[in-house]
Amino acid sequence: MIRMVDVHKEYKGGIKALDGLSLDIEKGEFVFVVGPSGSGKSTFLKLLTKEEEPSSGEVYVAGKNLSSLPRWRVPYLRRNVGCVFQDFKLLPNKTVFENVAFGLEVIGRPRSVVQRQVPQILELVGLGEKLDRFPDELSGGEQQRVSIARAFVNRPLILIADEPTGNLDPATSVGIMRLLDRINRTGTTIVMATHDHAIVDSMRRRVIELESGQVVRDQSRGIYGVGT
Amino acid sequence: MRLRYFLSETLTNLRRNLLMSVAAVSTVAISLLLLGGVQILGIVVGNMTRSWEAKVEVSVFLLDDITEGEQQALVNQLTNMDEVEDVTYVSKQDAYEEFKQEWADQPEFYENLPEDALPASLRVKLTDARYSEAIATLVNGAPGVEEARFGGDIIRRLLKVNSLLRSITLVMSIVLMIASAALIANTIRVAIYARRDEIGIMKLVGATNWFIRVPFLIEGMVEGLLGGLIAVLAIFAMKFAFIDPLRGQVGFVHAWIDTPEILFTVPILIGAGVLIAAVASLLAMRRFLEV
Repeated sequence: MIRMVDVHKEYKGGIKALDGLSLDIEKGEFVFVVGPSGSGKSTFLKLLTKEEEPSSGEVYVAGKNLSSLPRWRVPYLRRNVGCVFQDFKLLPNKTVFENVAFGLEVIGRPRSVVQRQVPQILELVGLGEKLDRFPDELSGGEQQRVSIARAFVNRPLILIADEPTGNLDPATSVGIMRLLDRINRTGTTIVMATHDHAIVDSMRRRVIELESGQVVRDQSRGIYGVGT
Repeated sequence: MRLRYFLSETLTNLRRNLLMSVAAVSTVAISLLLLGGVQILGIVVGNMTRSWEAKVEVSVFLLDDITEGEQQALVNQLTNMDEVEDVTYVSKQDAYEEFKQEWADQPEFYENLPEDALPASLRVKLTDARYSEAIATLVNGAPGVEEARFGGDIIRRLLKVNSLLRSITLVMSIVLMIASAALIANTIRVAIYARRDEIGIMKLVGATNWFIRVPFLIEGMVEGLLGGLIAVLAIFAMKFAFIDPLRGQVGFVHAWIDTPEILFTVPILIGAGVLIAAVASLLAMRRFLEV
């Protein structure tokens, strides 16, 4: 599903973010990406949606070589890769329903599809009763659920989560992880960058640890880190 | 649903920065008004020139003591020229009658005029008004000729003033068009900035570039269209307010401009407005909307 071959990424100004990264992630895997700030986690995630391009090396997502993917095809790639962030990125002037519907409308899905799928997905994330609330009327955990609903409503092959529990308390985080686990069980590949020891240790999924842009550990059923 | 989405986005954007949109629209309107003015001025002067040229004749005034032979030689010389269409002899008596007719409503002009005061003349009709000066020069000084006159002098001066006026207006209109393009680009920039969160999410979920751009493009083009419509209305208003009341008041101008000729500028102005706006919006998007 995801494959990187000797990927280097150097930003303007000579900052090396990735330094010879190679890895494979199979369809349906749940992968934690851990490592200190500046280890290249965010850059790694941005390569998957072609938000950044590697300085050298190959990136394959869903069987496509991203370096030969023309710019105008990038939106179609992104429809197959859902994204969830630490800060939720919800539109404050839209209701829960509208926020999720927006994600479908702007990729040209017909109204009937929007009307059917949005309540379904909101039911799935446990917000079936709160369709008409605005984001600022929701708790952080609920907001993250809306954001996950928006990322997943289009049934992407891959869901990328960049510190999805970074702003949430431990109890709420557990709820979010249950939700992601449920989504993973539908066959969606999940790649999640995190700093949260407790979550990684309790889930016992594959852990890829980055440091200075290189894979220093790749462990199935791993824990956050040794000696940390 | 898509069209409804685009239109409602456009409307929101226009409302959101109303003042800036007003500035952009009015600059477009003024620059197009000048552009329309250039065209209309051209049409008016063209009409005037044509109606005058049709009447341009060379009048060859004859001395009272011209001999029969000299007069005949002159008529023969003129008639044989390719540029001359027709030569008519106007006797002193004819000239007096014409004068009387022309000033029929002001008899004091001719009451005291002796019937033989006006010179006899030859009226030379030309195939083309351009030859008038050459013919006049040629005939001047021939035996029995007092003076040859032609009416083209004023036209020439008028054309010169007109072309200067048109150049100045055209330059002003172009400068203003650039200004209006910049103003439209700015409203688009502000609209993009105001919607940066939405745009970010649209990119995230995989909206195509054109889907993101179209509302901004429509916004710019609506501004251009409004500017064009205002310019057209202003031109018609000016026609009814200033040109129409003057019609028939100023005797020497016979050909004013008519509505069909103004209508001809309407698609040009509106087209120019929309085109400028579209180009400005696209440029603004290239600069401020990374997709």
